[in-house]
Amino acid sequence: MKKNDLYSKEEKRFRDKNKIYATQSVKQIAYSTDNRDFGQVARSIPCQDACPAKTNIPGYIRCVYEKRYGRAYELNRVANVLPGVLGRICSRPCESACRHGEPENGVSVGICHLKRSCADLKPASHKIIEGLYSPTNKHVAVIGSGPAGLATAHDLAILGHKVTIYEAEDKPGGMMMYGIPEFRLPRDLLLLEIKNIVRLGIEMKTGQMIGRDITLDELKNDHDAVVIATGCVSPRMLGVPGEDLVNLHNGLEFMRSVNQGGKPFVGKKVVVIGAGFTAVDCARSAIRLGAADVSINIRKTIEYMRIDETEKHEAQFEGIKTYSLIQPSKIMGENGIVTGIEFIRTRLEKTQRPPYRKSVPIENSQFVIKANSVIAALGQTPDSQVISNELGSIDKNEHKSGIDGVFLAGDFVTGSSDVISAVAGGKKCARAIDEYMTGEIRKQTVVRLENHKTTDRPRAFDFIGKIVMNTVEMDARLTDADTEVETGYKDDQAHEEAKRCYLCNLKYEIDPLACIYCSACIDVAPKDCIKMIKDVPVATDGTFGPYVETNQWNNVVSIAIDNANCIRCGNCLAVCPMDCISVTKTELIEIDT
Amino acid sequence: MPSNDHYVIIGNGPAGNHAASVLRNKDKDAKITIISDECTPYYYKPKLTGFIQGKISARELMVNGPDDYTNGYYKNIRIRLGQTIERIDPDFNAVFLNHMEKIQYTGLIIASGGQARVLPSMIPYAEHLSFIASYSDVMDIKDRIDKAEEFFIFGGDLVGFKFLRMLNAMGKKTSVLIYPNAFWPYNLTDDMLEKIIKSLSGLTSDIIVKDDIKKIEKNESGFRVFTQKGVVKTTDLIFSFNGMAPNIDFAVGCGLDTDHGILVDEYLKTNIDNIYACGSCAQVYNPSIKSYCVSIGWPNAMVQGEVCALNLLGEKKVVESVGRKYFDLEGVRIKTTWWDDINDDSLRM
Ligand SMILES: Cc1cc2nc3c(=O)[nH]c(=O)nc-3n(C[C@H](O)[C@H](O)[C@H](O)COP(=O)(O)OP(=O)(O)OC[C@H]3O[C@@H](n4cnc5c(N)ncnc54)[C@H](O)[C@@H]3O)c2cc1C
Ligand SMILES: Cc1cc2nc3c(=O)[nH]c(=O)nc-3n(C[C@H](O)[C@H](O)[C@H](O)COP(=O)(O)OP(=O)(O)OC[C@H]3O[C@@H](n4cnc5c(N)ncnc54)[C@H](O)[C@@H]3O)c2cc1C
Ligand code: SF4
Ligand code: SF4
Repeated sequence: MKKNDLYSKEEKRFRDKNKIYATQSVKQIAYSTDNRDFGQVARSIPCQDACPAKTNIPGYIRCVYEKRYGRAYELNRVANVLPGVLGRICSRPCESACRHGEPENGVSVGICHLKRSCADLKPASHKIIEGLYSPTNKHVAVIGSGPAGLATAHDLAILGHKVTIYEAEDKPGGMMMYGIPEFRLPRDLLLLEIKNIVRLGIEMKTGQMIGRDITLDELKNDHDAVVIATGCVSPRMLGVPGEDLVNLHNGLEFMRSVNQGGKPFVGKKVVVIGAGFTAVDCARSAIRLGAADVSINIRKTIEYMRIDETEKHEAQFEGIKTYSLIQPSKIMGENGIVTGIEFIRTRLEKTQRPPYRKSVPIENSQFVIKANSVIAALGQTPDSQVISNELGSIDKNEHKSGIDGVFLAGDFVTGSSDVISAVAGGKKCARAIDEYMTGEIRKQTVVRLENHKTTDRPRAFDFIGKIVMNTVEMDARLTDADTEVETGYKDDQAHEEAKRCYLCNLKYEIDPLACIYCSACIDVAPKDCIKMIKDVPVATDGTFGPYVETNQWNNVVSIAIDNANCIRCGNCLAVCPMDCISVTKTELIEIDT
Repeated sequence: MPSNDHYVIIGNGPAGNHAASVLRNKDKDAKITIISDECTPYYYKPKLTGFIQGKISARELMVNGPDDYTNGYYKNIRIRLGQTIERIDPDFNAVFLNHMEKIQYTGLIIASGGQARVLPSMIPYAEHLSFIASYSDVMDIKDRIDKAEEFFIFGGDLVGFKFLRMLNAMGKKTSVLIYPNAFWPYNLTDDMLEKIIKSLSGLTSDIIVKDDIKKIEKNESGFRVFTQKGVVKTTDLIFSFNGMAPNIDFAVGCGLDTDHGILVDEYLKTNIDNIYACGSCAQVYNPSIKSYCVSIGWPNAMVQGEVCALNLLGEKKVVESVGRKYFDLEGVRIKTTWWDDINDDSLRM
């Protein structure tokens, strides 16, 4: 029997196409700090670029595909110390940027659901690995145990510093504990991930309010550096008559009460005002408190709501309506109790700065609707006065206050944002403090480049539909208000969803010196991804700008793959008669300097 | 001097076609292109139920045949069927088709209509549901409707009742689950609901109210529908009639202001000067109620298409709603014309 007869026809075809494997015995790896490589990674991997923590998304999705959930969890944890939490409640800027969601490419990959899968499906025996530095004898005080404080504390502890967290509340976690409702984020999971952070030797002192129990000066005297990560706690007010009526709730207070087991009065008809996470959580909690008619009312249009699609969907599923282009002008009441609300209609007007639209009231367009309660969830701002009125000029980028040795992280410095931004800010802040205390840069981000010979996935994967998240039925949501609504992917569902990722971290390049300009690759390309170019401009920040295309053969300097359009199908690689197309795996990694 | 203008119209329904004919009448030289993702020429959606029943032929369903665009009223209008607009790039005055072709315009009219709304609660079961919102929907299901004996209809809306009448005339057995708040674009009060049930009792013997679908199971021959209150129905086909959602995905994020639909002022102009929208994809500012609303119905789409075209050519005509101010929904008079009139508190409480 010939050796080839061992294989079925299909398998043989697969083996032939992939025979290149056999020659890939030696890995060629390079590390780069060249801006052009950073620029290329940002352009090529849109999901990672959109993630404030720069999570290696294609890397962990590939591990999920290979069912290496533990490794996938670790890849997440390098960038973000709360993978299980963020796999549930992240605002998902990555999914809006995902190449699979671009026009013609279908629907973005369920990046966040897959992140959750890493946490849910990793083996019980999984061990978290930390690359610890030796002790430095430096001591840092972190004020606030929200995601920013936790991430800062974790990274400082890794770098060998002693850390104490001072938290005003009885439990750690910040808004993850007191803002986000339990039906979206189970508290045992949150506490487990917090435990995995503090077990590095971080001391957690709860019930300690800085500015009341201890002063900032006292902390400064006892520590080498102090981080303020106290978030945003001052709620924005409606600023309309009737704000003092009974049954007008402030969104943050309302959620805090619900999360501590309280049952604030809502009545049958509830009007929620606001366009962010808090508004939606208040509305969904009101349904669980027995309201029958709950609406979210927003000043601009649904396009400008600051929540992700899944949350929008779940709110709709629970029967919550959204009314746009209206803003409250008066809260109506009788005998000091809310009876309704007067709205004025609005229209959009262009502005010069993001988000480029503001809402403008339309004169004489007021109308009144009845309501048993009103929840004002307009967001919140930081309250620096509690800690000190003398923080001086703040450098947001460097995370520095005007006081030597006092640093800032999270919502306190950025204004109300989201958990992943707070985590990313915490990490950056830890690096800044380390440099301040040691006088050295001890960690650096570089681009790792590794030769890679295959596409890693067949084109058929591109046509798999998105796997829908499993959720509990409405009855169960109402029977126990804390029941987690989303129940996660099962093992085979995670594997299937992971197949959908194009693996944009694989960079395709044509070697212009070997290319014979046969244009076979252009003929088989499914996208406008291979271009005849006459120039590649370099931008002011040292990265490559978009290619300058030409259709005049005389002017062509190269046929080039535009990695911002490439869906990594491998068609070009398969047809190239000169084998001049190379694939390189590109990753942002942190190295010790 | 011949005009260099190229007016591109997205959508081949009444709004798009009426816009095209006005443009052609007023500007003899301009290039006019209608692009539609449907493969059929301009047809009467309201007559689809008659077509299913076999009362009218496919030819009678058509308003215009392909020849009408080379001769007569619609002369010299390029009609491109079966081609989907994927994206608009207002900075370069271009639309992109899904086969990567780029078409340049001097003026753009968006008349992309609406598609059957799938209730968020029904998304997990969407593959089991049938809709009647276009000719291709009908072609997909026509034979199965002929063969099927039992039908489950849920939601409501005007099209739903039209369909129910049709099934009754065809001698089919039907069950109807009515959502008082899904009678797009109205919410029904208990009083209204009672009258409607009375009126519908002539068309179906099985009306379910104040209940909801819990689960749908597919079996060999059809489906089993389970309701929250424990009713179980075996049926051959399930139809969802829960209103229409504007078709605007291709326009979101390109710089046009959108909400439920594409936001336009009373002149049907979007926030970008040379782009207008009309028909059931537009969310129109109505100065008399000082609010934006999505209009419904064929007559509104026709008038909006015409106003849109005139304004694109430089006029300043305010659009007005046409048709009946009140709708007769199975014997109940309901204020109509505008969708989701939250101004009217009686509809919200
Ligand atoms: C209801 C609600 C829902 C949300 N949902 C989401 C979501 O789904 N996804 C998402 O990404 N983001 C969400 N967010 C936003 C997110 O929670 C915040 O952006 C994030 O928690 C900010 O992190 P932080 O560490 O900067 O601050 P915080 O989480 O606010 O933590 C600050 C901590 O500092 C403590 N503190 C304050 N003052 C003092 C003091 N003087 N002394 C000691 N301790 C002090 C506070 O008690 C708190 O524990 C939501 C927010 C709310 C309110
Ligand atoms: C079964 C049925 C019965 C009805 N009965 C009545 C009635 O009795 N009375 C009444 O007044 N109204 C009735 N209507 C409603 C009426 O048909 C609509 O209000 C009217 O068709 C809206 O017109 P339009 O031009 O805005 O959009 P449409 O007629 O929906 O046309 C929009 C066109 O744009 C196309 N399109 C959408 N997106 C794209 C894209 N990305 N690229 C290219 N093309 C695109 C669509 O495929 C479609 O061809 C009925 C509707 C249905 C479905
Ligand atoms: S396809 Fe994968 S790698 Fe590419 S952007 Fe989407 S999630 Fe990221
Ligand atoms: S792998 Fe090649 S052919 Fe496929 S999308 Fe990328 S550049 Fe185009």
